Amino acid sequence: MNANMLEVRNCFERRLLVLRVMGVVLFLLLTGRLINLQWLQYEGFFLQAEQNRINVVPILPTRGEITDRSGHGLAINRISWQLILIPERADHIDALLKHLQRMLHWGRDRVTRLRSRIRQARADMPVLMADQLTWKEAAPIAARLYLLPGVDIRVETHRFYPYGKLTSHLIGYLSLANAHDVRAGVLPTEKVGRSGVERSFEAHLRGKPGAQYEEVDVHGRRISVFRRKPPVMGSPLRLSLDVHLQQVAAKALGKRTGAVVVLDVHSGAVLVLLSQPGFSPNNFITGLGARQWKAWVDDKQHPLINRALQTAYPPASTFKLLTALAGLQYHAPLATGATQCPGYLELADRRLHCWKTQGHGHVDLHKALVQSCDVYFYKLGDQLGMKAIRDEAELWGFGQRTGIRLASEASGVIPGAVRRRNGRTRPWFRGETMITAIGQGVVDVTPLQLARFAAAIANGGKLLIPHVQAGLPPRVSHVIDVQPRYLAIVRKAMRGVVAERHGTAHTYLSRLPWQVAGKTGTAQVISDAQEAAHLPAGEQQYRYKDHAWFMGFAPYKHPRIAFAVFVEHGGHGGRAAAPVAAAIVRAMAAATAHAVAVRPARHTPIAEGRPVYKGQG
Amino acid sequence: MLACLKRMDIILLLCLCGLAVLGIATLYAAVYEGGIGLWQRQLVYWLLGMGVFFAISCIPLRMVGLFAWPVYAITLIALALVPLFGDVQMGARRWLNLGFIYFQPSELMKWALMLVLAHCFASRTAASFKSLCVALVLTLVPAMLIVSQPDLGTTLVLLLSAVMMLFVTGLPWRWAFYGLVTTLAALPVLWHNMHVFQKQRVLSFLNPEADALGAGYHVIQSKIAIGSGGLLGKGYLHGTQARLHFLPEQHTDFIFAVLAEEGGLMISALLLLLYAVMISRILTIAGRASTRFGSLICMGVAIIFTLYAGINIGMVTGLLPVVGVPLPFISYGGSALVTMLAALALVMRVTIESEGRVYWQRPGSPLA
Repeated sequence: MNANMLEVRNCFERRLLVLRVMGVVLFLLLTGRLINLQWLQYEGFFLQAEQNRINVVPILPTRGEITDRSGHGLAINRISWQLILIPERADHIDALLKHLQRMLHWGRDRVTRLRSRIRQARADMPVLMADQLTWKEAAPIAARLYLLPGVDIRVETHRFYPYGKLTSHLIGYLSLANAHDVRAGVLPTEKVGRSGVERSFEAHLRGKPGAQYEEVDVHGRRISVFRRKPPVMGSPLRLSLDVHLQQVAAKALGKRTGAVVVLDVHSGAVLVLLSQPGFSPNNFITGLGARQWKAWVDDKQHPLINRALQTAYPPASTFKLLTALAGLQYHAPLATGATQCPGYLELADRRLHCWKTQGHGHVDLHKALVQSCDVYFYKLGDQLGMKAIRDEAELWGFGQRTGIRLASEASGVIPGAVRRRNGRTRPWFRGETMITAIGQGVVDVTPLQLARFAAAIANGGKLLIPHVQAGLPPRVSHVIDVQPRYLAIVRKAMRGVVAERHGTAHTYLSRLPWQVAGKTGTAQVISDAQEAAHLPAGEQQYRYKDHAWFMGFAPYKHPRIAFAVFVEHGGHGGRAAAPVAAAIVRAMAAATAHAVAVRPARHTPIAEGRPVYKGQG
Repeated sequence: MLACLKRMDIILLLCLCGLAVLGIATLYAAVYEGGIGLWQRQLVYWLLGMGVFFAISCIPLRMVGLFAWPVYAITLIALALVPLFGDVQMGARRWLNLGFIYFQPSELMKWALMLVLAHCFASRTAASFKSLCVALVLTLVPAMLIVSQPDLGTTLVLLLSAVMMLFVTGLPWRWAFYGLVTTLAALPVLWHNMHVFQKQRVLSFLNPEADALGAGYHVIQSKIAIGSGGLLGKGYLHGTQARLHFLPEQHTDFIFAVLAEEGGLMISALLLLLYAVMISRILTIAGRASTRFGSLICMGVAIIFTLYAGINIGMVTGLLPVVGVPLPFISYGGSALVTMLAALALVMRVTIESEGRVYWQRPGSPLA
């Protein structure tokens, strides 16, 4: 033992101690770290681990079906079959494709396209090979699935519109959710209503998506399913529409462009809402080609516009009913008096013509309405002034939306109290007021507004809010403060239009089971001459042709339905539009007679056979 | 042989048994779904390693001392051959194909260096400038070779273990301080010479969330696995992170995450305790060794084990950057397991030879 050795030993012992301390510190550090991770931060990490492994796959709900009042499917869900392929499970893609090509008669370019799609897809995710297969196509494949590893047949539902174009504007169409919908909480694979009832009743029809909670590995492959939350099916929707009546209206309208609206006089329920030309809503479901869309948008007939409520037209002579009501309400002298119609009215250096060039002779209010005398209403309008006409029009619901639950409704146009142009205001010229009094000039109305107007005249002044859902109680916008005898005068005149020998619609609506009251309208079309100049001769003629109107109600004594028929460039209102109304009334009367004979229980849905119209009120 | 067995340290053996059970069980949990029988192979390595363990614990330390220099020299030559004949795996040239086994010279180098330093300083302290220079040359030559493979993790372990060895052999504090300052000054140079993926690892360590799906992904996923284990764990074979393969390298470098996820804080703390007891026991044996050589061997083994366990756990828990360092006795890998068991056998040999005395009391000791 020497000092040096001792010193070395002591040094060694000290260093050993330092080493131990360092070791202890290291292990305490690691233990602390573990306590921090596994104890203090446990919950956060546990959640992250769950998020890692749990994949929530949405299950789409089945959309509610839409039927007409007697249960005919207007928008239904059809079952079809999808062919999918999971590439990683297939042994030999090319042989498989050849096999499928033979079975489904695919073209060569389709096979090429599918092959490139499979090559780009993830090996573990299903590739959609064919959509909307019928059972006839799918069954042979389903029977040979054991020969086709990786191939599977899946059931899917898709929307189908059995009546196609006939109900296209009312029912609307669906398309795949866009970025905006997805932000609002719609699943990217869901279809969303884009127009008509499909859009307005979206929340009612949609249902609630379910979800499947799956355990997935790091590559996203499904390992197992923990839990399934089934989707809630969308509610079915029964419309007040009578699809057979709609068919009758469409048949009567033929290939012509136009719109037909039929309302229940007491409830405001829509029985017919037709706009022609229609579009095929089934094309949207199968995925609309850009070419088809462009064709519709570019079409001069604008098939995507619902003419029943999305555009407004000059009401022409049908507006004379309103001028007459205003005359009675405001006690205009002419309303209770009479005047002479020589066929024209002189105003300063201009002449305003009556449609009957030789004149109507002595006319009072009744005769003026029945024979649609323009001169009488020029004078009545002149006595009333623009403000009275405007106030009366507003009272009867013109210039404002009816409030029907359908999108993009037009409000129409009624003249303002004063005229505005280029930021300056000036009073109306007398001539302008006169033109407005016969429904030309600055007035535009929609067929729906006109049908509602007819209903209000028929039901004693209740301005209804039209609705499309069956079984809804009537909703009244307001009750117009009008004396019943004034309404009786107007109704009698409307009956005269049809029943009297000189009535403008006399020849077209006689010999009907129901007595019809109505008013014709023939709107002059002022087309842009420059636009018209380079159109072919035949088309030019069409473009300058008048719009035809016929509106009214039936039966005369105990009104049930109110209608408005509009034929674009149809010509004379009586000749072009009144026969459509005649067909509708005939069909309604026949159906009602049948219902009276059979007497079905109220609110019993009738799925098969002829529609039975259940009378209201 | 029987005498050797009788004199073995029972605490060390118990710790080893505990680690063996824990290691194979964890490895099974990490790979049973892959199904290529990795855990059976590891079982064979364990048997092989135990054979080596008992064989080496029968070799007298004197003989080991004779082997120190040749082993170091052969390993250095093998290390120098790697760039010429080595096999490339995962972007780094580290392995030598010996025909029957893939052999990683850098793995053996740590132990060879430890052995040669222990032998070198068995008869002198590190206080002299000359011996320090020798030690530096012995360390830096293999370090340069390994860092060029590139294998930063092994290099760091090698350098750190060498520095610690020098420290316990009596490196003056003053020099240690100078060394530290020099190292810090050298860091920017080192950074400049690092490979892109190495830089990325360091960066992703500093901010793992910045690149959650790229370089930081491994650490984030292993932290989620460990943290989601909680106090009691998700249950054996029920770790979701491991079973669904969210964990990278879950049978080798990241195996601790599997253990911590399925066993929770309970088992991960048990593992730390096993390491702590084992290392502490080795240090105790170092204090009792009958020769300074034996004492230094124990210190070296304790240092290397501590570094391995500390770096590995620090890395998977996000305390340190990701470097390829296995978890002693738990990670899959034959050569690492066998060399570690061999090193532990040396410690065992020191116990066998110590006879309860300390080296300076013995006449004829190297420092007498």
